[in-house]
Parts: sequence; structure tokens; C-alpha cells
Amino acid sequence: MKTGKSGKFRGSLLSRYLLIMIIALLFIPVVFPAALIGYQFVNLNIIDPLYPAEPEQENPYASLRLERTWHQEAKRLKDKTPAQIDARLKELSQKYDKAAVFWVDGQGNLREPGGSKLDLPKQWGASDAMAFMKKYRESYGKFTVVAFIGDAESLGKGFMVIEVPKAVQSPRSDPLSGRTSYIVYLLILLMFLAFIAVSWMFFVNMRRRLLHLQHAMTVQGENGLPEPIQVKREDEIGQLENAFNGMVAKLGRSLKREREEEELRKRLIANLSHDLRTPLTVIRGHVHTLQKEPLSDRGQEMLKLTESKLGDLGGLIDNLLSYNLLTSGRYTLQPVQADVLRIVRESAAAWYPLWEKEGFEVDVSLQEEPLWWLVDIQWFRRILDNLFQNVLRHAHSGLYIGIATETDEGRTAIVISDRGQGMQSSSGGKGAGIGLAIVGFLTREMGLSMLIESSSQGTRVLLYPAGPNKPGLMIK
Amino acid sequence: MNVSLLYIEDDAEIGEWVCRDLTERGYQVDWQRSGERAAELAANCKLVILDVMLPGLDGFTVGQRLKKAYPELPILMLSARTSIDDKLEGLQFADDYLTKPFHPDELAARIEVLLRRSGSVASDVLELKHLSVYERENRIENRETGEEIILTGKQYQIFKFMLRHLGQILTKEQIYEGVWGEPYFDGDKTLMVHIRYLREKLERDPAAPEIIETIRGVGYRIKA
Repeated sequence: MKTGKSGKFRGSLLSRYLLIMIIALLFIPVVFPAALIGYQFVNLNIIDPLYPAEPEQENPYASLRLERTWHQEAKRLKDKTPAQIDARLKELSQKYDKAAVFWVDGQGNLREPGGSKLDLPKQWGASDAMAFMKKYRESYGKFTVVAFIGDAESLGKGFMVIEVPKAVQSPRSDPLSGRTSYIVYLLILLMFLAFIAVSWMFFVNMRRRLLHLQHAMTVQGENGLPEPIQVKREDEIGQLENAFNGMVAKLGRSLKREREEEELRKRLIANLSHDLRTPLTVIRGHVHTLQKEPLSDRGQEMLKLTESKLGDLGGLIDNLLSYNLLTSGRYTLQPVQADVLRIVRESAAAWYPLWEKEGFEVDVSLQEEPLWWLVDIQWFRRILDNLFQNVLRHAHSGLYIGIATETDEGRTAIVISDRGQGMQSSSGGKGAGIGLAIVGFLTREMGLSMLIESSSQGTRVLLYPAGPNKPGLMIK
Repeated sequence: MNVSLLYIEDDAEIGEWVCRDLTERGYQVDWQRSGERAAELAANCKLVILDVMLPGLDGFTVGQRLKKAYPELPILMLSARTSIDDKLEGLQFADDYLTKPFHPDELAARIEVLLRRSGSVASDVLELKHLSVYERENRIENRETGEEIILTGKQYQIFKFMLRHLGQILTKEQIYEGVWGEPYFDGDKTLMVHIRYLREKLERDPAAPEIIETIRGVGYRIKA
């Protein structure tokens, strides 16, 4: 694991960040010398060819060369007469026209065959020579070569001098010195800008990839999950992207498994329902046929009871299976804003003939204004069906059903009341449990509250939107 | 009556019993064990009773095919499945739906409603209390006076809509939306006004209506 991590260090964000930080730290010790080296490079390869001056060795004013030449010339003049020396020095002064050339003969006379360029004494004594030498040493702008004629002091033939301004010796150094610093500064500035650009790009690139990742996380694919993203680099963000892809794949698998389970469960319930109902239907058919046979009153009554129990059993199967599906979370409610009173009226219309047949007094007094609740219409009908069914089954003795709206403290409730013996007493038709359980579950799921007030005089079921922190089901 | 029905049911016992019961009620029943020949047989019948769980092609598929081929043919679905998923799926094409175990009277009543709605059994004359309604001729006659009752367009539409749902209680929303074809807005008194005029023409005593019954708090009904 560790080696894998260190192996990835080269391409990691950390390494790149460290590199940038190191560059930042080494800016002064590295960049300035680098700028100077850069300058040298630029100078040699770009600026030099622009000033095609004579090469160094051909410059006759170069110090060493000049010194050597001057001493050689002095040697050659060893046996020459002063006139000949004059002639030769004149030639030389013409050759070195930028330099000042003079000589002092054995008698100490100044001779300037190339013309007077310097302010010198005409007659030289030992002190004059000393003064000149002192002046020469103090002068930095000039290069002076002094050679005795015959290149030996002992000959006593005097000495010859050539004096060259330093500028002539290296003609390019002075005019370029201003530009040098300019180029160095420019290079430093360029490097600084390059550094900023690199760090900026580093950050921008990171930001772009993070935003891309964030975008990929929020966009939903066809199955409601984000699509996996393409991993281009194996650095930290790349690892994050890999982890994200892994997570998406895992979610996808679990979603698929969940759907399969849901499908399986639904199929199981459907098959179970079919297997239970088919024989019930057959029994019902036989009971119906049997009723047409000549039977005693008691027999007829028993058949009638059997038939009603068959109906109950059908409803019970439906409730049981629905409850199983609902509570296993395999079925999702689809709540919409709906006028629940309209649903209540339609449901009551469907039940009315049955109540009528059983001789019930039906009292429907719903408010005229619609009542908008957020409900799943199909399941709200189921709630009503179960409540109405309960009244028919367990409060039959009251022969009354009331469906009303009541407003209390600004909240409107739908009230279903009967005049049965109440929930605690035995009504002869047990089994309200599953029906009420479904009602309780559904009301909770839809954010409704159900309050049941039951006494021996009857039962009132109040349905109203749940307030915060209110239980879905209350039984008084 | 001799109306022919196509009944598709795979369970032998149920099929036999329903078949017998419906025949006794005067229908001509063609009972098929599977939906394979449904399309050709449906051509000659007035209504199809279809079981959901069938071998081979299931009831939904058969029903959808039938509805496509004969859009006017009413289809009544019978299901032994729980109402949880079938009702939504099944009712998209089916005209009605009945869960097993059903009462044969209930089945017969539903069949009658469907046939009436599709106009297949518009019997020559429908007797309602003191009225004789000749649906095909759009004529209503008061038998006591022998006079013909003339209704306005909307009044007739409302009356006809309620006759199609004979015996069923209809809420004012259902009637309004069925006749006007627009969503009902609460507080709209138009329907009440029309029904009052309708009663003045039809009823013996409009203050104590016998034809169009008011179910207090729920809606209206024309009892067969």
C-alpha cells in the first residue's frame, strides 16, 4: 500500500504543489543567477553577432599584445640613430592612431614624432620620469607601456612610451553596461510572470476538475443516479473520481437489487392473492348456486352469513397483502393536492347502495368549499373504504353513518361517525385490526392525523392534517 | 335480451359458474379459456369480460389489443390480484374492474351499466315511474298525460348522462364534468339550476322528486 502510494507521488497534486513551493522558495537564489546565466547566453548568442567588431586577438590595443609589441619595437631600435627612432615611432603612432606615442632620448629631450597629444615637459629629468610614472599609476582610464630603447636601461638611450585610453582597449564594455541590467531585470520579470502563470494554471486546473466532479455528482442519469465519470489522471482528484465511480456503481447495484426484490415481492403478493382468491370465488359461486336450491330458512340464513364472510375474507386478503407491500417500503405514495371532499363524496356514492340495502341512516353534511389536502388519491380512497367497511362490519347495530366536516381551531377535520357499541366492546365482527392498521399507516405516510373517539354510544373517527410532532393515530 | 358476451377465464370452476349464471340472466356467453382467439371472437359481441391472470397472453395484453381493435367495445376486468397495482394498470384501458371474489349480482349490475353506457342495450323503451323514455328516438313521454316532454339541449344531456349511469349515484362534479367536459369549479350553481328546471319538466311534484333523486351531501341518482 505504501509503495503504491509513493509510486503515485510523482503524478500527485502534492508533488506538483511542492514543486511550485520549492520554486517559490528558491526564487532569489535560483532565479537571479539563472537570469544572469540567461543574460550571458543571450549576450553571446544574440547580441554579439549584432556587433561584428574585430576579434579580441586582432585588437592591436589589447594590453598584453601592446606591451609585447612595444618591447619588441624598443629592442629593434637598439642601434638606431635618434632620427631613425623618430621615423619608426612616427610610423607606429600612425598605426596606433588612438594612442599617444612619445620618447625621451638619452639626453632627456622629449620627442614626439607623431604629434603632441599629451601635456608633457620638453626636458625630462629623473624626477619627471618619476612624476609621469606616478601619474600613470594613478590614472585608471589609461593603459601605458614604457620601454627603454634597446629594451635595456643600461644602454642610456632613453625610453619610449605609448599611452592608450582603456576604452580603446575593450571598446564594447562601456556602452553595453546599461543594457545589461535592463536585460537581467526583464528576465527576472519574465521568470516571475512564468511562476505566477504556472501556479495559476495549477490552481485553475484543479478547480476545473473539482467543479467537473461536482457537476457530475448533481446530474442525474436515466436511473436517477449520477453517471460515472472518465478518470484522466491518477492523482488525488483522480482517486476521488475513482472513488465516486465506485460509489455510483455500488449504488446502481443496490438500486437494481432493491428493484428486483420489489418486483419479486410484488409478484409473490400477486400470486398469493390469486391463489387465495380463486378458491374463494369458486366457493362464492357454489354458495350462490346453493341459495337457489330449496332450503330451510335456517339453511338460507347460514348461506347468507357464509356469503358475507366470504366478502369479508376477500377484503381481509386485500388489506393484508396491501399492508405487507406498504410497510415493507415496496410501494411509494404519490401525494398530490386534491379536494378530499370530492373524493369523500365519490367514495360515499359508491358505498351508498350498500348502506341503503342494510337499512342505514346516512347523514352526509360536508362543507361546500373544497378542502385541499396533500394526499395520494388512490390510498386516500383506501382509507375511506376501510373506515366505511369498519362501520358496516363493526357498528352495524347503530344503523347510522355520519360523514361530516368539522372545523376547530382553524383546522378542518373529516369526521366519520357511527352509533355502534364502540371499539372496546365486541361487535360480533372482529378483525378491525388490519384495516385500521392500514389506515393508521397511510394517514401517517400522508401527513394526516387520525383521532378515534370511541364510547358505548358510538365511534367518531376524525381525519385532519397532522400538526408538527403529532402522532398519526390516536385512540380515545 | 340475447346480448352476446365474450368471457375469457382460465379457471374451469369459476368459468362454468359465471357462464351458467350469466346465461340464466339471459346473456349469450362465449366462454374462452385463453385470449388467443379474443380478437376474432370479439367482433361479434357487445362486451368482453376478461380475467387478468391468463395462461399465455395475460389479461392486460389481451385487453389492450382488444381496445385497440375495437375502441367502442366495453371491457370488464376480473382480477384475483390485490388492488394495489392492478387497478391503476388495468383501468387505463378497461371500462370497469371487479375483484374476486365478486358477487354474481354485482357482476350482472356492472355488465348492465357498461352495456347501457355503450348503447348496446338501448332497449326500445325505459320505464321510469310515470315516464317512458325512448332513448333511440330521444323522446320522453309522460304516460299519465300522454304528452311528450321537450327538454333543452343541456337538460337532455344531463338526463342522458344520468340514464347512462342508471342506478349509480353521481356527484355534482361527475355530472358537470361528464356533460360540460370541463373541470368543475366549486360554487358553480349552473348544474343546480339546470337540475331544477329538469325536475320541473320531469317530476310529478318537483318539490318531492321521484325521478332524479337527491342523495343529500353526495349527489344525484336516477333509480332504475
